[in-house]
Amino acid sequence: MIINFKDAKTYIGTGGKSLDNTKKTLCFLHGSGQNHLSFVQQARFFAYKGYSVIVPDMPAHGFSDGNPCKSIKENAEWINDLLVDLKLNDVVVIGHSQGCLVALELNRILKSSLEALIFVAGSNEIPVNQFLLDLSKEKPQKACQMMVTWGHGIDGDMSINKWPGHSHYGEGNNIMCMNKPTALKYDLHSCNDYSDGIDAAKNIKVPALAVLAKNDQMTPLKSGLKFVELIKNCETHILDCGHFLPSERPMELNSIINSFLSKLK
Amino acid sequence: MSENYKFDTLSLHAGHIPDKETGSRAVPIYQTTSYVFNSTEEAASLYNMEVGGHLYTRISNPTVAALEQRLAALEGGASALACSSGMAAMHLVVSAICSSGDHIVASSKMYGANINLLQHTMPRFGVKTDFVNPNDPEAINRAIKPNTKLVFGEVIGNPGLDIMDVPEIAKICNSKNIPLVLDATFNTPYLMQPFKHGANIIVHSLTKWLGGHGIAIGGAVVNGGNFDWGDKDKFPTISGPHFALGGISFWEEFGPSALIAKIRAEGMYNFGPSLSPTNAFHLMQGIETLPLRMKKHIENTHSILDFLVNHEMVEWVKHPDLETHPDHEVAKRILPKGSGSIVAFGIKGGREAGKAFIESVQLASHLANVGDAKTLLIHPGSTTHSHLSSEAMKEGGLTDDMIRLSVGLEDINDIKKDFERGFKAVKKLNK
Repeated sequence: MIINFKDAKTYIGTGGKSLDNTKKTLCFLHGSGQNHLSFVQQARFFAYKGYSVIVPDMPAHGFSDGNPCKSIKENAEWINDLLVDLKLNDVVVIGHSQGCLVALELNRILKSSLEALIFVAGSNEIPVNQFLLDLSKEKPQKACQMMVTWGHGIDGDMSINKWPGHSHYGEGNNIMCMNKPTALKYDLHSCNDYSDGIDAAKNIKVPALAVLAKNDQMTPLKSGLKFVELIKNCETHILDCGHFLPSERPMELNSIINSFLSKLK
Repeated sequence: MSENYKFDTLSLHAGHIPDKETGSRAVPIYQTTSYVFNSTEEAASLYNMEVGGHLYTRISNPTVAALEQRLAALEGGASALACSSGMAAMHLVVSAICSSGDHIVASSKMYGANINLLQHTMPRFGVKTDFVNPNDPEAINRAIKPNTKLVFGEVIGNPGLDIMDVPEIAKICNSKNIPLVLDATFNTPYLMQPFKHGANIIVHSLTKWLGGHGIAIGGAVVNGGNFDWGDKDKFPTISGPHFALGGISFWEEFGPSALIAKIRAEGMYNFGPSLSPTNAFHLMQGIETLPLRMKKHIENTHSILDFLVNHEMVEWVKHPDLETHPDHEVAKRILPKGSGSIVAFGIKGGREAGKAFIESVQLASHLANVGDAKTLLIHPGSTTHSHLSSEAMKEGGLTDDMIRLSVGLEDINDIKKDFERGFKAVKKLNK
């Protein structure tokens, strides 16, 4: 659906179902340079399971206009305001990559309304190398290509996809190219500059789930495992794939999330 | 560790990793119509396109999917869909994008079935086409109307071997937000990857060079993922609510793969031109050696061009790699590895000479196909177009002395020797 939010056209994926704020809401937060399409196999799956699903395209991403947020805190505030605007409470927030950092900050602002946090390929910090930071400014399209290549495991290299006929690389590049050219630069800088992750992780009081990827080159498994140790009672799973876990292992991820959600009821 | 494998490697491996249960190195042939659901919930998930997977082989199949993913990787596309033939692929694209009242701009120099579909069949369903010279980008620009929904042509035209200036035409299409759909059968992704030049959708007859062995009919649509379908007034059945799945917007839900998602949900579901898993396997076997074959096709083609150009019995030779071809400069720019292995040539002595040549060669096969590993020949004047006068053939861009040659992979000296046999018969006739 498209709404006017903060004076900008804002797109919110709802998994093919109408938003119903009387149902339990799952809010998916996409990663750097991504948009709602990175969660296509989660949004539709959970929307058809009876949840109210929102997958906002952050400003300047996907179908949303506006200027990109310039820090993780700004992203979290934007999401916070959106949830208020949509009158959504008791939300389960599911972040992927940068979306995990945004979820950590959102927890600090919104803790009374959060029901649970789910971190997919996440960490408390996502340092970005200078080469990629520079490339995202000078040649964003090239930076997108490199991220798509690094971000996938062998399934990306070999064009193996659960969705018949789809290519992780070809689709991934084009999803990233849908964003405004400056979006990636601000996303990567936001990740690189974020330093409050340790405190934010220790501050989590709601049930938490982490699904990490064994061959993750963007948020390495080692970093993800350190991160989950900071969270009290974080249920943790490791899947054999790369960073783009939502598209590389959709069924396994959905099953783990579904099982976690069923325990919340 | 990400590797970003190169073309030759992808030709062999893309779309398949040996499974843990059997370790089968070759892509297994899943010769099945349907797939057991583990639960009603899983079945519903597949029907609702919540997640990827296989429901019924008319819609998708694991062997066919391996082929599709290999094609997507080789073309650098977002997604691909394989179907029963190249013409099925063409119809799937046209019917997915156009509705009654819509308009197409197409090349006037194309394969007869492509022209028939657009000139005679689609108008019955309210979709009209204006045909324009593919070598004239400005003519294409002028032909575009407010209701034009796609521009279509063949990278290397069949049988005239005209070369479309893809980057120039892509610029025009892009500026008007109209998808450029190209039949890339004659070039294959080995010689040229149209998405890199700005095209949006590729149609293949896999029967030809990609399959390469003349044993299986198949086609494919490859989607670049680089087209914005967001204009709901222009592309209402892709970006607006569709009757399938409770009013789904394919563009909103699947973004770069919207077109393939729509074709699978509508075209494959309602029309059903599915590719058999066994044919998908055969076609993939062909693709495994595509780079090697194409190198040899081009090498043999260049050698046979020298032979024909200098032969006393040959009136004329047409191939884009010859400096005499009107599109030679465009070919050099967009097809630097070579412009394919189809050659057209005329034999001194006209229609009867062509007939004598065809009937005298032994190694080259006289048949109506191209892109086989074996050398193929046809003489339109005595076969496909035998009912037409010389004048009528000229109007269609053909001449009655014309031989269409699909250069194969045999030892080049054996091909030349075989042709000498044919020329000898023509000499006798001319005496």
